[in-house]
Order: sequence, then structure tokens, then C-alpha cells
Amino acid sequence: MENEGCPCAGRDGGPKMTRQGFLALAATGLAAAIGAVLSASGLTYFISPAFGKDEENWIDLGPASDIKPGTPVKVDYVERRRDAWVVNEKRSSAWIATADGKEFTAFDPRCTHLGCPYRWDQARGQFLCPCHDAVFSGEGAVVSGPPPRPLDRYSVKIAGGRLLIQPQPQKGA
Amino acid sequence: MNQAFCRVARWVAERTGLDQVWEALFARKIPEASGIAAWLYTLGSASMFVFSVQALTGALLAMNYVPSPDHAYDSVKFISERVLLGSFIRGLHHWGASFMVVLVVLHLLRVYFMGAYKYPREGTWMVGVALLLIVIGLGFTGYLLPWDQKAYWATAVGTNIAGQTPVLGPYVAKILKGGSEMGAATMTRFYALHVLVLPALALGLIAVHLFLVVWHGISEPPSRKDDGGRP
Ligand code: FES
Repeated sequence: MENEGCPCAGRDGGPKMTRQGFLALAATGLAAAIGAVLSASGLTYFISPAFGKDEENWIDLGPASDIKPGTPVKVDYVERRRDAWVVNEKRSSAWIATADGKEFTAFDPRCTHLGCPYRWDQARGQFLCPCHDAVFSGEGAVVSGPPPRPLDRYSVKIAGGRLLIQPQPQKGA
Repeated sequence: MNQAFCRVARWVAERTGLDQVWEALFARKIPEASGIAAWLYTLGSASMFVFSVQALTGALLAMNYVPSPDHAYDSVKFISERVLLGSFIRGLHHWGASFMVVLVVLHLLRVYFMGAYKYPREGTWMVGVALLLIVIGLGFTGYLLPWDQKAYWATAVGTNIAGQTPVLGPYVAKILKGGSEMGAATMTRFYALHVLVLPALALGLIAVHLFLVVWHGISEPPSRKDDGGRP
């Protein structure tokens, strides 16, 4: 027993393949194939969240022609966000502005200072935040007050005359 | 290559006794049989293989499943439609469950008709019967979990059958349902049984069953007296 303690001892039958050796090999091969398929698919299932694409979540705000140039409008909407098998609904709003009726800008309705809702002052043509007296221009730039950056913007696109936004803030402008 | 493999194997063997375990489990003497009779001896191993597939796929499914009436159906749908390979894993678990019952029953029939349950293997047989009941319990509790029409009504029928038993029936049905109505408490109850209680019991009993199989050795195929004792 020179190969004592070696589980592979005596199970590979030299250079010529015996019937038993062949069957052992075939059984091992089959078991390995089944094991490989099982563990590969199980592993894929387990790590699949790593490859998942984030869904683009465009929200329809109605006809783009409703927004008149020079007067930003606060538009309310319901955001439906999919969380695996749950769909959450959130009420929210955005300020929509346009200079020419073709290019639109969507602002996050929270002031970039501490998150207060701001309003549009038509007479001054500026956004005013009541909390700490911030003033933003019609393009969202900080005119005066404590905000550290311009108003946050959302992605906007027009499809078939309808205005769509994607309400994840893109920092700054 | 083979040399290196042998060195690693010996290293492990000296520290764990794994080679003796291997010897006892896989290199043990088994009765000579050929043809269909030889294949019948594989039913036990086949059942155990399917059990391990069920354990693996079950653990994966549990990662995306919620045992609650307002989420169960949607989470199962999520697995089937949105998780990568989700329908494959769920399919394996679904078909594996049916196949498991078939295999276990065939295994029982083989043992019965070969008289392999007789002295000294009665203990193995009894543990085996307990395992059969556990497999059926796993099938019954798992059937409810997708919470579709079929699942709901099958469980309604199942618990009503339990309710028909004289005297104790209504209590048994209430215990199964976790209340007098089928609902959220039924799901969590079935889920706990399906993924915790029954698998744990099965694992323990499989260990005992396997030990007894190895301890007593496999019984010979029955032979006729009048043909000189040939199998
Ligand atoms: S929150 Fe708007 S100025 Fe402070």
C-alpha cells in the first residue's frame, strides 16, 4: 500500500482504460457537468443585482405648450417608483421654465440651502425663498442669500409635444 | 499533476480522516446486482440529490420572496419575470418538489418489495417513513407560498380535510391556518415550516438514515429458494 492515504489511489487504471475506469470517469464527468450547471445558474441568480440596469423613470407632465415663456410654473405630479415587486407612489412637484417654448428647464422645488419650497415672484422675475431670504434668477442662479449652489435641475425631454422629466436632481446647473 | 493532487489529498486525509469517511460511504461493499435491480438501488441517492437541489434553489428563492398576502404573488412574479435566471431556479424548485415525492415513493416501494426493511433494518425503515412524511409536508407547505388561485384553494381543501377529523379536527385546522381564516398568519406559518422546521428535521433524520444505511450495509436483492439462491 504505497499510496496509502490517497483517495485517488488505485482508481485510475494505468495507461489502458478499463471498463470500470471509463464508467468512473463518465460518472464523475456527468456529476461535474450537473454540478457546474447548478452552481453557475445559482451563482448568476445570486449576483444578478450587480448587472441590473436602473430603470429610466420619465414622468409625463402634460402638453409642453401649457408652459408659457417667461413665467415658470409649478407642476404637481405623482411619481411611481418601482422597488423590486413594490410600486411606491410619491406626490411631488417641479418648477418648469422656458425662455422660448422650445427649450425647457425643470427645477427641483426645494431650495438648495436647507430645502424650503421657494416661489416665483412675477414682478421681480426671480425665485424667492422665504426661509432665509434667498433669491434665484429665472435660470436658477443664486442672486443673493445663503444657498451654496444654483437650483437643482431635473432631466427634461419633449416627446410628441408632451413634457417629460426625470426627477433625480443633477447637482448644480 | 496527479502527484500534487495526491499530496493535497493525503494532507487533508491525515488531518480529517476524510479518506475513511470516503471509504465508508463510497467504497463500501454493496450487493452484486445488475440490470434494473441495480438501478433500483440508486433511488435513495437520487432522492438525496434532489433534496440538495431543493435546498439550494430554495435558499435562492427565499432571497426574493415575501410570505405575506399582499406581496407573495408579486414577489414570485418578480422572480419569474425580472430576476436573471429566476424562472429557471423557480422551475427547478417547482419540478424538483414533484420529482422528490416520486423518487421517495419509488425508493420506499423498492425497499418494501425487496424486503429490505426487515431485521436489522427496521430503524432505517421507520426513519425513512418519517422522512416521507416530511417530504409530503414540504410539498404541502410549499404549495401555498406562490399565493395564486391554485395555491389558495389547494390549501383551503387541505386544511378543510384536516378539519374533518372527529373531535380534534377543528383544532388541527386552526393550528394549521394560524387562526380560523386562511390569511397572513397561514402564510407565515407555512413559510416557517417550509424553510425552517421541516428542512431542519429532514437534515437530522437524513443523517440518521444515512448512518443506519452505512452501519447495516445494503441488503441483498431477495432470492428464490428453489433456484439455488441465485438473485
Ligand atoms: S432654505 Fe432657502 S434660503 Fe435657507
